[in-house]
Amino acid sequence: MSSPCIYLDYAATTPIDPRVAERMIDCLRPTGAHGNPSSLSHDFGRKARALCEQARTQVAAAIGARPDSIVWTSGATESDNLAIFGVAQFQADRGRHIVSSKVEHKAVLDALKQLERMGFAVTYLKPATNGIIDAEQVAEALRPDTQLVSLMHVNNETGVITDVGAIGRLCRERGIAFHVDAAQSIGKLPIDVESMNIDLLSLTAHKAYGPKGVGALYVRKKPPLGLRPMLYGGGQEGGLRSGTLPTHQVVGMGEAFAIATAEREADVARLASLRQRLWQGIHALGAVELNGDPERRVANILNVSFRGVEGESLQFALRDLAVSAGSACSSGSDEGSYVLRALGRDDQLAQSSLRFSLGRFSTDADIDAAIAAVAREVRRLREISKFERL
Amino acid sequence: MSDPEYSELVIEHFERPRRVGTLAPAADVVIGRAGRRDQGAEFALAARIVDDRIADTRFEAYGCPHCVAAGSWLAEALVGADRDRLQRWSWRELADALEVPTAKRGRLLILEDAVRALAEDWRRRF
Repeated sequence: MSSPCIYLDYAATTPIDPRVAERMIDCLRPTGAHGNPSSLSHDFGRKARALCEQARTQVAAAIGARPDSIVWTSGATESDNLAIFGVAQFQADRGRHIVSSKVEHKAVLDALKQLERMGFAVTYLKPATNGIIDAEQVAEALRPDTQLVSLMHVNNETGVITDVGAIGRLCRERGIAFHVDAAQSIGKLPIDVESMNIDLLSLTAHKAYGPKGVGALYVRKKPPLGLRPMLYGGGQEGGLRSGTLPTHQVVGMGEAFAIATAEREADVARLASLRQRLWQGIHALGAVELNGDPERRVANILNVSFRGVEGESLQFALRDLAVSAGSACSSGSDEGSYVLRALGRDDQLAQSSLRFSLGRFSTDADIDAAIAAVAREVRRLREISKFERL
Repeated sequence: MSDPEYSELVIEHFERPRRVGTLAPAADVVIGRAGRRDQGAEFALAARIVDDRIADTRFEAYGCPHCVAAGSWLAEALVGADRDRLQRWSWRELADALEVPTAKRGRLLILEDAVRALAEDWRRRF
């Protein structure tokens, strides 16, 4: 296999947009912004602080929030942990029950498992076969001692969308904190934390053409939501997340979010068209199953299972195609995706799934090359495993 | 691309498997099958017996790249074998030749079961 690798794994991470890289590099130059953003007694610090605050405003604007409700973190995993442990522990006197789902990211699931070991009770909702958790399910799971609901906006494996507005409304009515992991949403869906009644929102830069290693947590300010920090130190970020801000990272995230917001509609239209082209090409092979709701999904993710094809062989045969088998975070595992199993897929289909995720730099030629490679290898592997005498 | 998980020989047989398919049913054709898809590996072997030796083979395999490569390698290796060799055949021969990692060796036992089934069909039919 000598053809160049085609990148269709944007849901795992995105390349940095050159416009973002420029802003970050500017910060890193000797004439840039090396000052400590907390050192307000001199120009170096004040310059860095101004850049961080401008980025905070950009991130806040992308989700309809006040800038002072944004807490910088190292990424969505930290944001999820801060949101879940922070609220659960701060509000432990109020109740020790949490509602989430079986298809959350491991950053949420493993944090919740740790809380269970600490004496909390967690209800994990099972999605319908289309992958969707609906507001009625959440309503039925709520108890008098429920203090937190944590659900993702867009599922990272299937791309299906949770109606966070409806769930936010019912949580707000009952005074229950609502945390949303929106790592996959920026640049794909509009988010307004105010109208959606979201109390905590996890964000990351590297899935929206920004740098790895920086993220943010939106924390409701009005009325203020109590949160116990996980890191103690210099008291930065209102005491919620101590540590010197990485100015260039933060600036990169701000710029990435500003671009993602400004170009969202054009990006989404183009990606939806490319994804449709990819699905038509793959569907023509026959015996393929689309995972997740065909309509309620983001434009850039296509998750497909191939009947009669073993997953590891398919992935290895397509190693010049950068896609994920199951989620990137667990693809080292031999087992089928836990998300697809929760959707009711059998072992073979869960194990033979590929997630294609398209992005800003995907082209028609990439899609056509991907279709050709998938068709060639699926046909070849099916030929080897035909078992004609069956 | 080099991949430490798969030896060169595994990659070679996976990408260009030999003797894929089956042999049309005939008086001199024996078959052996083992495994299930939901176990992650399934094999079918077909052999034509001429003068008490295997004269021709085909294989089918569902499984990881090691399984496909193992089926292909074995289908070649069995040509010329007599029944005694078939009965004595062990998965270790394959594991050594293809440098199959320990975690994957369980799947080779399924292939060994298919070889035993082939030997049994041979014994029954001849």
